[in-house]
Amino acid sequence: MRALRRQIIFLVCFAAVWQIIYMMKAFPEILFPSIGSIWDGLVQGFTQDGLLTMTMYSLSLIGKGLVIGIILAFAFSSLAVVNSVFYDIYSLIVSIFDLIPGVALLPLAILWFGIGEMTIIFIMIHSIIWPMSRSIIDGFNSVSRLYIESGQNIGLRGFSLVKGVYFPAAFTHVLSGMRIGWARAWRALISVEMIFGTTGSGAGIGWYIYMRRAHVDISGVLGALIVIILIGVIVEYGIFHNIEKHTIRKWGMTR
Amino acid sequence: MSSNEKTMPVLEVCGLTKNYHDSPHSRNIITELDLKVPDGEFLCILGPSGCGKTTLIRCIAGFEDYDGIIKVEDKEVKEPNIDRIMVFQDFNQLFPWKTVEKNIQYPLKKNGINDKKELERITREHLELVGLSEYGSFYPHQLSGGMKQRVAIAKGLALKPKIILMDEPFASLDAMTRNRLQVELLNIKRKENATVVFITHNIQEAIVLGNRIILMSKNGEIKLDVKNSIEKPVTPASEGYGRMWKLFNEALQDELADF
Repeated sequence: MRALRRQIIFLVCFAAVWQIIYMMKAFPEILFPSIGSIWDGLVQGFTQDGLLTMTMYSLSLIGKGLVIGIILAFAFSSLAVVNSVFYDIYSLIVSIFDLIPGVALLPLAILWFGIGEMTIIFIMIHSIIWPMSRSIIDGFNSVSRLYIESGQNIGLRGFSLVKGVYFPAAFTHVLSGMRIGWARAWRALISVEMIFGTTGSGAGIGWYIYMRRAHVDISGVLGALIVIILIGVIVEYGIFHNIEKHTIRKWGMTR
Repeated sequence: MSSNEKTMPVLEVCGLTKNYHDSPHSRNIITELDLKVPDGEFLCILGPSGCGKTTLIRCIAGFEDYDGIIKVEDKEVKEPNIDRIMVFQDFNQLFPWKTVEKNIQYPLKKNGINDKKELERITREHLELVGLSEYGSFYPHQLSGGMKQRVAIAKGLALKPKIILMDEPFASLDAMTRNRLQVELLNIKRKENATVVFITHNIQEAIVLGNRIILMSKNGEIKLDVKNSIEKPVTPASEGYGRMWKLFNEALQDELADF
C-alpha cells in the first residue's frame, strides 16, 4: 500500500507540473494542451471516434499474437533442452533474428501475406518469440543441477523433465520472458498499425493515434497514449503481479 | 535368511573405474573398486575429501558414466532410477514450487500411484516417520535445514527404493540437529529395514550409524572394510567405540599425512 500511495502522489505531481507548464503558455496550446482538454479528448475518443472498438481490436490482435508467440517460444525452448543439436541451431537462430526489428520485416511480410491481420500477427510473433526464447533458455540453463538430478532420480526424462523440473524451476525467467514478450508485442502492433492503418477487418489504436495527429488533435493523441499506458498498468498489476504472487513469491524463489 | 543375503547382494560393484577425462592430465578418481552390499546393510563410507566417495555414490545413483560393472539386484545400473534414491547434502533438493506433501506425492504419481487415498496414506505415514506430520502444507522455504533433510529422507523412503544413497546429508547441519537426525535415521532404518549407503567424513557419524564402515584412500581405493558390531545406540562410552574411532582416525591421518 505504501508503494501505491507514493506512486499516486507522483502521478498527481506530474499532472500538476504539466498543468503549470500549460498555464505558463510556454508552448503553443495546440501542441501542449491542458489536462482538461486531454481528458475531453479521451472522452470524445470513446464516445465519438470509436476509440473503444479500436482498442478492443488491437487487444484481440495482441492476444492472438501473444498466444501463438508464447506457445512457439515454449515449444522451441523445450526442444532445445531436450535435444542438443536443436539447441545449437536454435541458439544461432535466436541470435540472428533477435537483432532484426519487427518493422524491418514489414515490407517482406506485406509481400508474403498482404496488408492484413496475418502480417500484423507475423510481425508480432517475430517480436515475441526471440527475446522470450532467450529468457526461457537462459532460465533453463540456470536451473540448479540438484533439481535436475532429483528429477532424473524419480524417473523424469526429456519433456517430462522439462515440464516437471525445468519449467517451474526457471519460472522467474519464464515470467520475465513473458513480460518482455508482451511489451515487444505492443510495440510491434502499434508501429505496424500506424504504418498501414485500416487493415480491411478493422483499425487499431495505432491507426487512431495516427489519424488524431493528421487532424492535429494533440489531446486525442495524448488520450490514446493514456489508454495504452492504462492497459500496460492493468496487465502489469492485474496479471503479472498476480501470477508472481501465486508462484515464485509463494515458493520463496524471489524476495 | 542371512545366508541368503550373503549369496545375493543388493548392490554389487565390480572393477569400477572412473575418470572424468576433463583435462589431459585427469587421473582416475576411482580405480578397480569392488564392493558388495547385502540386503539391509547400513554401509558408511569414510574418506578424506577428494577421495572419490561422492563420485562412487554418484556412479551408483546413475548420474555418471563409468567403466566396470555396477549391479542392483543383478540389473546393471545405466541411468538414475527410483530403485536407488539419492539424498543430497544440499538443503535445496526439495522442489521449492511444491509443498512438503506434494514433494512426497509427486514422485509417487510419476511412478504410477494415482489413488488419492493411497497417496495421502503414504504421505501421512512417512511424514509421521520423520516427525513432520504438521508440516505437510508448508513450502520448503518455510522449513529449517534439518526439516528439509527429513522431508528429503521421507520422500526417498516413500518410493520404497532398494537402496537409499546418502551423500553427507547431515554435514551442513549444526551438531545438535545432526545428532538428533542420526538417532531418527537409525530408528527409521530399523523400522523399514532399508539398505543404506551413507557417505560421511565424520568418524563418529560412521560409527554411530553404520553396521559396516569402509575407509577410502585418497587414490579411490578401499583401505579399510570393517564390520561395526558395537551395539546400537552407540555412544562414545559404548564398548569398542574408542578402539574403532582410533582405528579409523589413524588410517585417516595417514591419508592426510601423505599429501
